[in-house]
Amino acid sequence: MSADEAPGLYVESTIIMTTVRVVAPFVLTFALFIMFHGADSPGGGFQGGVITGSVVMMLAFAFGIDSTRQWLDVRIVAALASGGVLVFAGIGLGAIALGGQFLQYNVYKPYYYEASKYGIELVELGIGGIVASVAIGLFFLLAAGFGYVTGEGER
Amino acid sequence: MSLTLLEGSLLVFVLCCALGAALLKDTMASVIAFAAYSLGISIIWLVLQAPDVGLTEAAVGAGIMTILFLIALANTVTPDVDSLFESVRWRTVALVGAFVLVMAATIPSLPAIGDPTAPVVGGEVTQYYLANAYKETQVHNAVTAVLAAYRGFDTLGEAVVVFSAGVVALSVLRREVFA
Repeated sequence: MSADEAPGLYVESTIIMTTVRVVAPFVLTFALFIMFHGADSPGGGFQGGVITGSVVMMLAFAFGIDSTRQWLDVRIVAALASGGVLVFAGIGLGAIALGGQFLQYNVYKPYYYEASKYGIELVELGIGGIVASVAIGLFFLLAAGFGYVTGEGER
Repeated sequence: MSLTLLEGSLLVFVLCCALGAALLKDTMASVIAFAAYSLGISIIWLVLQAPDVGLTEAAVGAGIMTILFLIALANTVTPDVDSLFESVRWRTVALVGAFVLVMAATIPSLPAIGDPTAPVVGGEVTQYYLANAYKETQVHNAVTAVLAAYRGFDTLGEAVVVFSAGVVALSVLRREVFA
Protein backbone atom coordinates (compact mmCIF):
# COMPACT_ATOMS: atom_id res chain seq x y z
CA MET A 1 0.00 0.00 0.00
CA SER A 2 1.25 3.47 -0.77
CA ALA A 3 0.60 6.66 1.11
CA ASP A 4 -1.06 8.55 -1.71
CA GLU A 5 -4.00 6.20 -2.07
CA ALA A 6 -7.10 8.00 -0.90
CA PRO A 7 -7.83 7.10 2.71
CA GLY A 8 -10.71 4.71 3.15
CA LEU A 9 -10.60 3.57 -0.46
CA TYR A 10 -9.17 0.17 0.37
CA VAL A 11 -10.23 -2.07 3.23
CA GLU A 12 -8.31 -5.30 3.53
CA SER A 13 -10.79 -8.09 4.08
CA THR A 14 -10.10 -11.80 4.17
CA ILE A 15 -13.63 -12.55 3.00
CA ILE A 16 -13.37 -10.34 -0.09
CA MET A 17 -9.86 -11.59 -0.93
CA THR A 18 -10.86 -15.23 -0.63
CA THR A 19 -14.05 -14.74 -2.62
CA VAL A 20 -12.24 -12.90 -5.39
CA ARG A 21 -9.51 -15.52 -5.48
CA VAL A 22 -12.12 -18.23 -6.01
CA VAL A 23 -14.43 -16.31 -8.35
CA ALA A 24 -11.90 -14.53 -10.59
CA PRO A 25 -10.87 -17.57 -12.71
CA PHE A 26 -14.52 -18.32 -13.43
CA VAL A 27 -15.29 -14.74 -14.39
CA LEU A 28 -12.27 -14.68 -16.70
CA THR A 29 -13.37 -17.95 -18.28
CA PHE A 30 -16.87 -16.58 -18.75
CA ALA A 31 -15.44 -13.41 -20.32
CA LEU A 32 -13.36 -15.44 -22.78
CA PHE A 33 -16.38 -17.63 -23.54
CA ILE A 34 -18.48 -14.54 -24.31
CA MET A 35 -15.69 -13.25 -26.55
CA PHE A 36 -14.90 -16.48 -28.40
CA HIS A 37 -18.46 -17.76 -28.61
CA GLY A 38 -19.94 -14.44 -29.72
CA ALA A 39 -20.18 -15.74 -33.27
CA ASP A 40 -22.70 -18.43 -32.33
CA SER A 41 -24.42 -17.06 -29.23
CA PRO A 42 -25.15 -13.65 -27.73
CA GLY A 43 -22.02 -11.76 -26.88
CA GLY A 44 -18.88 -10.70 -28.63
CA GLY A 45 -15.80 -8.57 -28.25
CA PHE A 46 -17.40 -5.56 -26.59
CA GLN A 47 -19.18 -7.53 -23.85
CA GLY A 48 -16.36 -10.02 -23.32
CA GLY A 49 -13.80 -7.25 -23.19
CA VAL A 50 -15.70 -5.40 -20.50
CA ILE A 51 -16.02 -8.53 -18.39
CA THR A 52 -12.28 -9.23 -18.83
CA GLY A 53 -11.58 -5.71 -17.64
CA SER A 54 -13.84 -6.22 -14.65
CA VAL A 55 -11.69 -9.16 -13.52
CA VAL A 56 -8.76 -6.77 -13.00
CA MET A 57 -11.08 -4.33 -11.20
CA MET A 58 -12.22 -7.16 -8.97
CA LEU A 59 -8.58 -7.89 -8.10
CA ALA A 60 -8.03 -4.20 -7.36
CA PHE A 61 -11.13 -4.24 -5.16
CA ALA A 62 -9.79 -7.16 -3.16
CA PHE A 63 -6.05 -6.52 -3.04
CA GLY A 64 -5.84 -2.73 -3.35
CA ILE A 65 -5.55 -0.54 -6.41
CA ASP A 66 -1.87 0.26 -6.04
CA SER A 67 -0.86 -3.35 -5.44
CA THR A 68 -2.78 -4.38 -8.57
CA ARG A 69 -1.22 -1.49 -10.48
CA GLN A 70 2.23 -2.77 -9.61
CA TRP A 71 1.31 -6.38 -10.38
CA LEU A 72 -0.09 -5.49 -13.80
CA ASP A 73 2.36 -5.18 -16.68
CA VAL A 74 1.52 -1.88 -18.39
CA ARG A 75 3.12 -3.09 -21.61
CA ILE A 76 0.51 -5.85 -21.90
CA VAL A 77 -2.33 -3.36 -21.46
CA ALA A 78 -0.90 -1.01 -24.10
CA ALA A 79 -0.12 -3.92 -26.43
CA LEU A 80 -3.68 -5.25 -26.15
CA ALA A 81 -5.21 -1.86 -26.95
CA SER A 82 -3.06 -1.04 -29.95
CA GLY A 83 -2.81 -4.69 -31.02
CA GLY A 84 -6.60 -4.90 -31.17
CA VAL A 85 -6.84 -1.90 -33.48
CA LEU A 86 -4.01 -3.29 -35.63
CA VAL A 87 -5.63 -6.74 -35.90
CA PHE A 88 -9.03 -5.30 -36.85
CA ALA A 89 -7.65 -2.78 -39.35
CA GLY A 90 -5.12 -5.33 -40.62
CA ILE A 91 -7.81 -7.88 -41.46
CA GLY A 92 -9.83 -5.16 -43.17
CA LEU A 93 -6.95 -3.72 -45.18
CA GLY A 94 -5.50 -7.15 -45.91
CA ALA A 95 -8.68 -7.98 -47.80
CA ILE A 96 -8.11 -4.91 -49.97
CA ALA A 97 -4.50 -5.97 -50.54
CA LEU A 98 -5.73 -9.35 -51.78
CA GLY A 99 -8.02 -7.68 -54.28
CA GLY A 100 -11.29 -7.68 -52.36
CA GLN A 101 -13.16 -4.95 -50.52
CA PHE A 102 -12.57 -3.71 -46.98
CA LEU A 103 -13.26 -6.57 -44.52
CA GLN A 104 -14.37 -8.92 -47.30
CA TYR A 105 -13.50 -12.06 -45.35
CA ASN A 106 -13.93 -14.58 -48.15
CA VAL A 107 -10.84 -13.36 -50.04
CA TYR A 108 -8.87 -15.19 -47.35
CA LYS A 109 -10.55 -18.43 -48.39
CA PRO A 110 -7.62 -19.77 -50.46
CA TYR A 111 -5.50 -19.70 -47.29
CA TYR A 112 -8.05 -21.17 -44.88
CA TYR A 113 -11.39 -22.66 -45.81
CA GLU A 114 -13.39 -21.27 -42.89
CA ALA A 115 -11.95 -17.82 -43.49
CA SER A 116 -15.11 -15.84 -42.73
CA LYS A 117 -15.76 -17.54 -39.43
CA TYR A 118 -12.25 -17.20 -38.10
CA GLY A 119 -11.83 -13.73 -39.58
CA ILE A 120 -14.87 -12.58 -37.60
CA GLU A 121 -13.55 -14.43 -34.54
CA LEU A 122 -10.23 -12.57 -34.82
CA VAL A 123 -12.00 -9.25 -35.23
CA GLU A 124 -14.03 -9.98 -32.08
CA LEU A 125 -10.82 -10.82 -30.21
CA GLY A 126 -9.30 -7.54 -31.41
CA ILE A 127 -12.33 -5.62 -30.16
CA GLY A 128 -12.14 -7.54 -26.89
CA GLY A 129 -8.49 -6.56 -26.45
CA ILE A 130 -9.21 -2.90 -27.08
CA VAL A 131 -12.23 -2.75 -24.77
CA ALA A 132 -10.61 -4.75 -21.94
CA SER A 133 -7.40 -2.73 -21.90
CA VAL A 134 -9.13 0.65 -22.22
CA ALA A 135 -11.54 -0.30 -19.41
CA ILE A 136 -8.59 -1.31 -17.21
CA GLY A 137 -6.70 1.81 -18.24
CA LEU A 138 -9.59 4.18 -17.50
CA PHE A 139 -10.07 2.51 -14.14
CA PHE A 140 -6.47 3.01 -13.07
CA LEU A 141 -6.28 6.51 -14.54
CA LEU A 142 -9.45 7.60 -12.72
CA ALA A 143 -8.22 5.99 -9.53
CA ALA A 144 -4.92 7.84 -9.80
CA GLY A 145 -6.44 11.18 -10.77
CA PHE A 146 -4.35 14.30 -11.20
CA GLY A 147 -2.48 14.10 -7.92
CA TYR A 148 -0.58 10.94 -8.70
CA VAL A 149 2.02 12.45 -11.02
CA THR A 150 2.79 15.52 -8.95
CA GLY A 151 3.10 13.50 -5.73
CA GLU A 152 6.26 11.73 -4.62
CA GLY A 153 5.60 8.89 -7.05
CA GLU A 154 7.30 5.58 -6.38
CA ARG A 155 7.14 4.27 -9.92
CA MET B 1 -50.86 -4.01 -25.94
CA SER B 2 -51.02 -5.76 -22.61
CA LEU B 3 -48.23 -6.13 -20.08
CA THR B 4 -47.40 -9.25 -18.16
CA LEU B 5 -46.71 -8.90 -14.44
CA LEU B 6 -42.95 -9.26 -15.06
CA GLU B 7 -42.85 -6.58 -17.73
CA GLY B 8 -45.02 -4.21 -15.72
CA SER B 9 -42.98 -4.52 -12.55
CA LEU B 10 -39.71 -4.18 -14.52
CA LEU B 11 -40.96 -0.99 -16.14
CA VAL B 12 -42.04 0.47 -12.79
CA PHE B 13 -38.69 -0.52 -11.26
CA VAL B 14 -36.72 1.07 -14.11
CA LEU B 15 -38.83 4.22 -13.98
CA CYS B 16 -38.33 4.59 -10.22
CA CYS B 17 -34.57 4.00 -10.56
CA ALA B 18 -34.31 6.56 -13.36
CA LEU B 19 -36.19 9.14 -11.29
CA GLY B 20 -33.97 8.30 -8.33
CA ALA B 21 -30.79 8.70 -10.41
CA ALA B 22 -32.00 12.08 -11.64
CA LEU B 23 -33.47 13.47 -8.41
CA LEU B 24 -31.39 12.08 -5.53
CA LYS B 25 -29.06 14.76 -4.21
CA ASP B 26 -26.42 12.46 -2.77
CA THR B 27 -24.14 11.56 -5.68
CA MET B 28 -23.35 8.10 -4.35
CA ALA B 29 -27.05 7.25 -4.04
CA SER B 30 -27.59 8.60 -7.53
CA VAL B 31 -24.84 6.35 -8.95
CA ILE B 32 -26.33 3.31 -7.24
CA ALA B 33 -29.80 4.16 -8.55
CA PHE B 34 -28.27 4.48 -12.03
CA ALA B 35 -26.67 1.03 -11.73
CA ALA B 36 -30.00 -0.46 -10.66
CA TYR B 37 -31.63 1.30 -13.61
CA SER B 38 -29.12 -0.29 -16.01
CA LEU B 39 -29.68 -3.71 -14.51
CA GLY B 40 -33.46 -3.33 -14.92
CA ILE B 41 -33.06 -2.14 -18.50
CA SER B 42 -30.80 -5.11 -19.30
CA ILE B 43 -33.51 -7.50 -18.09
CA ILE B 44 -36.04 -5.60 -20.21
CA TRP B 45 -33.77 -6.16 -23.23
CA LEU B 46 -33.87 -9.87 -22.44
CA VAL B 47 -37.68 -9.78 -22.27
CA LEU B 48 -37.65 -7.99 -25.64
CA GLN B 49 -35.53 -10.88 -26.98
CA ALA B 50 -32.39 -8.84 -27.55
CA PRO B 51 -29.81 -10.77 -25.48
CA ASP B 52 -26.81 -9.12 -27.17
CA VAL B 53 -27.97 -5.66 -26.13
CA GLY B 54 -28.96 -6.94 -22.69
CA LEU B 55 -25.50 -8.39 -22.12
CA THR B 56 -23.87 -5.12 -23.17
CA GLU B 57 -26.16 -3.10 -20.91
CA ALA B 58 -25.43 -5.36 -17.94
CA ALA B 59 -21.66 -5.37 -18.50
CA VAL B 60 -21.16 -1.74 -19.50
CA GLY B 61 -24.06 0.14 -17.92
CA ALA B 62 -24.45 -1.73 -14.66
CA GLY B 63 -20.86 -2.96 -14.35
CA ILE B 64 -18.02 -0.84 -15.65
CA MET B 65 -19.81 2.53 -15.61
CA THR B 66 -20.75 2.09 -11.95
CA ILE B 67 -17.17 1.19 -11.03
CA LEU B 68 -15.78 4.16 -12.96
CA PHE B 69 -18.32 6.53 -11.37
CA LEU B 70 -17.56 5.20 -7.89
CA ILE B 71 -13.80 5.41 -8.36
CA ALA B 72 -14.20 8.98 -9.65
CA LEU B 73 -16.39 9.80 -6.64
CA ALA B 74 -13.76 8.35 -4.29
CA ASN B 75 -11.31 10.94 -5.62
CA THR B 76 -13.63 13.88 -5.04
CA VAL B 77 -14.81 15.66 -1.93
CA THR B 78 -18.43 14.89 -1.15
CA PRO B 79 -20.32 17.95 0.06
CA ASP B 80 -22.71 17.57 2.96
CA VAL B 81 -26.19 16.92 1.69
CA ASP B 82 -28.93 18.77 3.51
CA SER B 83 -31.97 17.36 1.71
CA LEU B 84 -32.74 13.99 0.16
CA PHE B 85 -33.86 15.21 -3.25
CA GLU B 86 -32.76 17.89 -5.67
CA SER B 87 -35.05 20.88 -5.86
CA VAL B 88 -36.88 20.88 -9.17
CA ARG B 89 -38.30 23.80 -11.10
CA TRP B 90 -41.93 23.30 -11.98
CA ARG B 91 -41.51 24.82 -15.44
CA THR B 92 -38.95 22.10 -16.23
CA VAL B 93 -41.25 19.43 -14.85
CA ALA B 94 -44.08 20.69 -17.08
CA LEU B 95 -41.83 20.70 -20.16
CA VAL B 96 -40.45 17.21 -19.50
CA GLY B 97 -43.94 15.97 -18.67
CA ALA B 98 -45.27 17.28 -21.97
CA PHE B 99 -42.41 15.56 -23.82
CA VAL B 100 -43.12 12.28 -22.02
CA LEU B 101 -46.80 12.57 -22.96
CA VAL B 102 -45.91 13.06 -26.63
CA MET B 103 -43.58 10.04 -26.52
CA ALA B 104 -46.16 7.96 -24.62
CA ALA B 105 -48.75 8.72 -27.29
CA THR B 106 -46.71 6.64 -29.75
CA ILE B 107 -46.65 3.55 -27.50
CA PRO B 108 -50.06 2.11 -28.51
CA SER B 109 -48.96 1.94 -32.13
CA LEU B 110 -45.90 -0.22 -31.33
CA PRO B 111 -46.23 -3.87 -32.41
CA ALA B 112 -46.44 -6.55 -29.73
CA ILE B 113 -43.23 -8.34 -28.66
CA GLY B 114 -42.35 -11.00 -31.23
CA ASP B 115 -45.19 -10.01 -33.56
CA PRO B 116 -44.40 -11.74 -36.88
CA THR B 117 -46.23 -9.04 -38.83
CA ALA B 118 -44.15 -6.21 -37.34
CA PRO B 119 -42.61 -4.03 -40.06
CA VAL B 120 -39.02 -4.67 -38.94
CA VAL B 121 -39.45 -8.46 -39.19
CA GLY B 122 -41.03 -8.30 -42.63
CA GLY B 123 -38.49 -5.74 -43.85
CA GLU B 124 -36.37 -6.67 -46.82
CA VAL B 125 -33.07 -5.98 -45.04
CA THR B 126 -33.96 -8.10 -41.99
CA GLN B 127 -35.07 -10.98 -44.17
CA TYR B 128 -31.87 -10.76 -46.22
CA TYR B 129 -29.68 -10.93 -43.10
CA LEU B 130 -31.67 -13.82 -41.62
CA ALA B 131 -31.61 -15.79 -44.86
CA ASN B 132 -28.02 -15.16 -45.94
CA ALA B 133 -26.00 -14.36 -42.81
CA TYR B 134 -24.87 -17.92 -42.17
CA LYS B 135 -24.22 -18.72 -45.82
CA GLU B 136 -22.13 -15.60 -46.37
CA THR B 137 -20.32 -15.21 -43.05
CA GLN B 138 -20.36 -18.71 -41.48
CA VAL B 139 -21.48 -17.40 -38.09
CA HIS B 140 -24.76 -18.45 -36.47
CA ASN B 141 -25.44 -15.26 -34.54
CA ALA B 142 -26.94 -12.85 -37.07
CA VAL B 143 -26.15 -9.93 -34.75
CA THR B 144 -22.44 -10.78 -34.90
CA ALA B 145 -22.66 -11.23 -38.68
CA VAL B 146 -24.07 -7.72 -39.05
CA LEU B 147 -21.67 -6.28 -36.48
CA ALA B 148 -18.44 -7.76 -37.79
CA ALA B 149 -19.16 -8.40 -41.46
CA TYR B 150 -22.00 -6.41 -43.04
CA ARG B 151 -21.39 -3.34 -40.86
CA GLY B 152 -17.74 -4.11 -40.14
CA PHE B 153 -16.51 -0.66 -41.09
CA ASP B 154 -18.85 0.97 -38.54
CA THR B 155 -17.62 -1.45 -35.91
CA LEU B 156 -14.00 -0.57 -36.69
CA GLY B 157 -15.01 3.04 -36.07
CA GLU B 158 -16.57 2.08 -32.73
CA ALA B 159 -13.51 0.13 -31.67
CA VAL B 160 -11.26 3.05 -32.61
CA VAL B 161 -13.51 5.40 -30.62
CA VAL B 162 -12.94 3.22 -27.53
CA PHE B 163 -9.20 3.20 -28.23
CA SER B 164 -9.19 6.99 -28.67
CA ALA B 165 -11.04 7.39 -25.36
CA GLY B 166 -8.18 5.59 -23.65
CA VAL B 167 -5.54 7.67 -25.43
CA VAL B 168 -7.38 10.92 -24.65
CA ALA B 169 -7.70 9.96 -20.98
CA LEU B 170 -3.93 9.37 -20.94
CA SER B 171 -3.14 12.73 -22.49
CA VAL B 172 -5.65 14.69 -20.38
CA LEU B 173 -4.24 13.23 -17.18
CA ARG B 174 -0.65 13.66 -18.50
CA ARG B 175 0.23 10.04 -17.97
CA GLU B 176 2.35 7.85 -20.22
CA VAL B 177 1.17 4.41 -19.19
CA PHE B 178 -2.25 2.93 -18.64
CA ALA B 179 -1.78 1.47 -15.20
